[in-house]
Amino acid sequence: MDFACMGVDAIQVGLRAGDFSATEVAQSSLDRIERIDGAVNAFLEVTPELALAKAAEVDKAIAEGSFDQMGPLAGVPVAFKDNMNQIGTHTTCASRMLENYVSPYTATCVQKVIDAGGLPLGKLNMDEFAFGSTTETSAFGTTKNPWGLDRVPGGSSGGSAAAVAAGLATVTLGSDTGGSIRQPASFCGVVGVKPTYGAVSRYGVVAFGSSLDQVGPFARNVRDAALTLNALCGRDPLDCTSQACDFDFTANLDQGVEGMKVGIVPAFLDAEGLDREVRNAVMGAADKLASLGAEIVEIELPNAQAAISAYYVLAPCEAFSNLSRFDSVRYGYCDPGHKDLGGQYEASRAQGFGVEARRRIMLGSYLLSSGVYDKYYYPAQQIRTLITQDYLNAYQKVDVILSPIAPSVAWKFGAVSDPTSMYLADMFTISINIAGNGGMNLPVGLGEDSGMPVGVQLIAPPFKDANMLRAAAALEREYQCVGVAPDFAGEAAVKDGE
Amino acid sequence: MKTMEEVLKDWEAVIGLEVHCELTKLNTKMFCGCKLEFGAEPNTHTCPVCLGLPGALPVPNKAAIENIVLAGLATNCDIEKHTMFYRKGYMYPDMAKNFQTTQGPKAFCMRGWLDLNVDGKGASERPIMAQLEEGESAENVTRTAEGYTARVGITRIHMEEDAGKMIHMGGGEGRISGATHSLVDYNRAGTPLIELVTEPDLRTPEEARLFMQKLRQIFLALGISDCSMEEGSLRADGNISLRRRGTTQFGTKTELKNINSFKSLHDGLAYEICRQAEVLEEGGIIYQETRHWDPSAKRTIVMRVKETADDYRMFPDPDLAPYDLSDEFIEAVRAKLPELPDQKAARFTESFGLSGYDSRQLVENMATADFFEACMQDADAKLAKPLANLINNDIAALMNADQDFDLASSPLTPARAVALVDLVAKDAISSKQGKEVFAAILEEDKDPAAIVEERGMKQVSDTGAIEAVVDEVLAANPDKVEQYKGGKTGLIGFFVGQCMKAMKGQGNPKLINQMLSQKLEG
Amino acid sequence: MTQHVSEKDVRAIAEYARIGLTDEELPAMTEDLNAIIESLKPITEYDLEGVEPTFHPVGDLSNVMREDVEGTSFTQEEALSNAPKQQDGSFLIPSILGGGEA
Repeated sequence: MDFACMGVDAIQVGLRAGDFSATEVAQSSLDRIERIDGAVNAFLEVTPELALAKAAEVDKAIAEGSFDQMGPLAGVPVAFKDNMNQIGTHTTCASRMLENYVSPYTATCVQKVIDAGGLPLGKLNMDEFAFGSTTETSAFGTTKNPWGLDRVPGGSSGGSAAAVAAGLATVTLGSDTGGSIRQPASFCGVVGVKPTYGAVSRYGVVAFGSSLDQVGPFARNVRDAALTLNALCGRDPLDCTSQACDFDFTANLDQGVEGMKVGIVPAFLDAEGLDREVRNAVMGAADKLASLGAEIVEIELPNAQAAISAYYVLAPCEAFSNLSRFDSVRYGYCDPGHKDLGGQYEASRAQGFGVEARRRIMLGSYLLSSGVYDKYYYPAQQIRTLITQDYLNAYQKVDVILSPIAPSVAWKFGAVSDPTSMYLADMFTISINIAGNGGMNLPVGLGEDSGMPVGVQLIAPPFKDANMLRAAAALEREYQCVGVAPDFAGEAAVKDGE
Repeated sequence: MKTMEEVLKDWEAVIGLEVHCELTKLNTKMFCGCKLEFGAEPNTHTCPVCLGLPGALPVPNKAAIENIVLAGLATNCDIEKHTMFYRKGYMYPDMAKNFQTTQGPKAFCMRGWLDLNVDGKGASERPIMAQLEEGESAENVTRTAEGYTARVGITRIHMEEDAGKMIHMGGGEGRISGATHSLVDYNRAGTPLIELVTEPDLRTPEEARLFMQKLRQIFLALGISDCSMEEGSLRADGNISLRRRGTTQFGTKTELKNINSFKSLHDGLAYEICRQAEVLEEGGIIYQETRHWDPSAKRTIVMRVKETADDYRMFPDPDLAPYDLSDEFIEAVRAKLPELPDQKAARFTESFGLSGYDSRQLVENMATADFFEACMQDADAKLAKPLANLINNDIAALMNADQDFDLASSPLTPARAVALVDLVAKDAISSKQGKEVFAAILEEDKDPAAIVEERGMKQVSDTGAIEAVVDEVLAANPDKVEQYKGGKTGLIGFFVGQCMKAMKGQGNPKLINQMLSQKLEG
Repeated sequence: MTQHVSEKDVRAIAEYARIGLTDEELPAMTEDLNAIIESLKPITEYDLEGVEPTFHPVGDLSNVMREDVEGTSFTQEEALSNAPKQQDGSFLIPSILGGGEA
């Protein structure tokens, strides 16, 4: 059986019934990666020992009758984006800079998933240091979209999305700085949630834009994502910006949307460059929500247009500072043969970082320099205030906002190359990171032109992430999401929830 | 080169200090739980945070924030409630993240001041003093009986973290220049550090030295640091420029580094004053540069010329939530303020009638102040002055000579000190014998009375006994008596000596003298 | 398009960021940076009079601190486990001022 194609509930029902053991789940998942991942390239490292050791722990709990105390992800095959430290594993951020780096500690989010009973299968491909939206900037080869191997999986958490879409893991973690969970989830047809900033600890996740980064789950259904959020969220004493988050994300999944107010932003739907099939999908989802009893309310986010330029100030500035620690002294690539430290610094950083990373570091260095700071960085933080206020105003009227995620479905490799046009593709996701709200992708079927997965974005007020999960669960029941990509589903003996 | 005294007649020195103080009394580092310990094996007090590993995040040490607020309250600063930590970027191998987490334009402590008492020789270095009567003020000084007081502004005290330590190999004497490679140890990285910046209010090296001493006394009294200049837990950089007397424009300043003692601070600044004056008087220019004080060569050497202002790419650290200190927090810290050295000195003067000078000397060191206080618990008020003398002279000399001397655990208990000065005050022993007893207490760990008894040291003040001896001595030396009466009054010393000898050194010299004078003159 | 940064500026930025940049790479990097900086123009045209910046998107969160209690530290071996070069328990780096041995 290909357990990694199954959902959390199906796996746990089987484990409880003794139909199979956690060790079988782990082993079959590892075998499937071995068999399939050559085509997808979602994994940068596979960790059989760790998965099997955890599986043995779960099996012991089953034998001792303490399975129910194991946690919400007990026996579930999971995997982590490769910017998450996990002790004893390589944490490369898909960069030459960290090719040989072995984590001496574990990120809180990784620890929480493992503590919740997840079987850690390995580390997942990404854009280098999360700089990109296609996973093509990975130094270790791009990940392919399981729905069409000639197409990008999206990014930067492309490996995390593709692994779930190809049935290589039941749940994966990704990180989202400007859309890096939601956009690949949309491209690969899976659920992807970026919770409110501060809901999940960032400790141990290699920082890109510290005020924007947030960790979240990928799954093949809303409930699996909600179960993972239950394990992930909450205050971590090791992250000053993390906050208490004491609610059950699964609690109102079955509640429906009767009486819910759902905002749509006309300016988003009329945005230049938004593909027809994406627009239709969003409109269709709005209609479905309305038919289920939700009230659709038009709202305005007058400053959302400025989000993209604010983001391209804030993110590179923070990245420049965060990446200054890669200096060839304590860890990371060290260019050999230098007699002076300056030469070693410059050569190591020039060769360790890919071109996109170098470009962003340079941009941040420029934007923070004296004289320039007041022209861009400070106003960008003022714009953040305006955008945050826009959202808070909107939440006076609505419980959740419905919008597109990306202007199009996953494109073919090589179709987009100009860096500035790639930046524009993030316009629907970025303002949510700027304001710190939660946002998620829900797959709503296949595009009528491309046949590729299309997703819609649901956005919730700060720390009311349960609102968007509730609306998503209602929509999910209407769409009967496909789950594993068809080319890989043949391998799947058991379909989720059936 | 001219002497500093000569230079200061024509030039005014403008001096500001940047003082770094490690909060060594804390258990752990600024942003992580690694232990603070000097001298451990390299890189054994490190973790993801202080090694700057990818993904690690800082969490501030609450006790460090309390310490800096304490320091601010003790130096008359306003406590700024709303502040943020910033990242100050510069790539240097001892800085694990390649940025230092520090504070921005607003520090926890702003706009403070300290008053310095300048007396003794150093007071004359400030020419304005000659023109002032006692109680008169000019510039930032007020004339006092013993010298002057100067009010020195404190711009700010901010919270930051220390860097790691480097050992430079292959060059001379561990210097960075000529080194072929260096070793980096991050045990010190992340040590909580407060930086105090003064206004450019200091005018003489003596004032700078006194400021540092006073600050050290305060920080020691607060119990926030061991303030060891040798181990580098207290460090000072001096900014110094000259301007012609009577002008107000600031000159170009140099920054003096590598100061590891109060003496270095004084001597380095004094050298810079002379060096800058020489350059300026020869028509040269002072470059804005960092200079290194070489105590063995007794000169400063240029380390680095600053061509442009450093650009540190400062911005608020997104990983650290902002601060919004509550009144409750500040008041809770204020409640922990101990009596400060100035307050203690004022109390000593008030309660025990000591001079300001004596009181200030007593409080220069917590150990001596505490010792004095313990003595005065049981001692008669009239012993305050002799006790202060004992502490400020004999005990202070002992402590200066031996850095490891621990007064609190020494055989010289407060009770013994009181007994000793009491014996002298009562004329039971001479002051010379007092010195012997002082040494014997430390040596033999015995009470003064026992020592006096054992050594038969009693001073004879019985006038009858003394008169008998005096008569005997005069009778035995009729020729000398004649000479004395003939005008050789210097012979008094001979007679005293003979009497003392006859009394085995136990006669009261004062009484012997009186008696001799009486008989010889009479 | 407005030139925001010249090749000379980009060279200086690279030096500050300690990223080696070859003469061949310089023109393309300069062009890219100018294009990106140009796209940030909306920021400079916004009316932001009286708007407070939001440096931390954390709502009312403030004063987050920990108690002064010792936690776990690495052993020396763990601390140095990823060191490119080490000696005597410390991280080893070439001459800071130049002129060292390779």
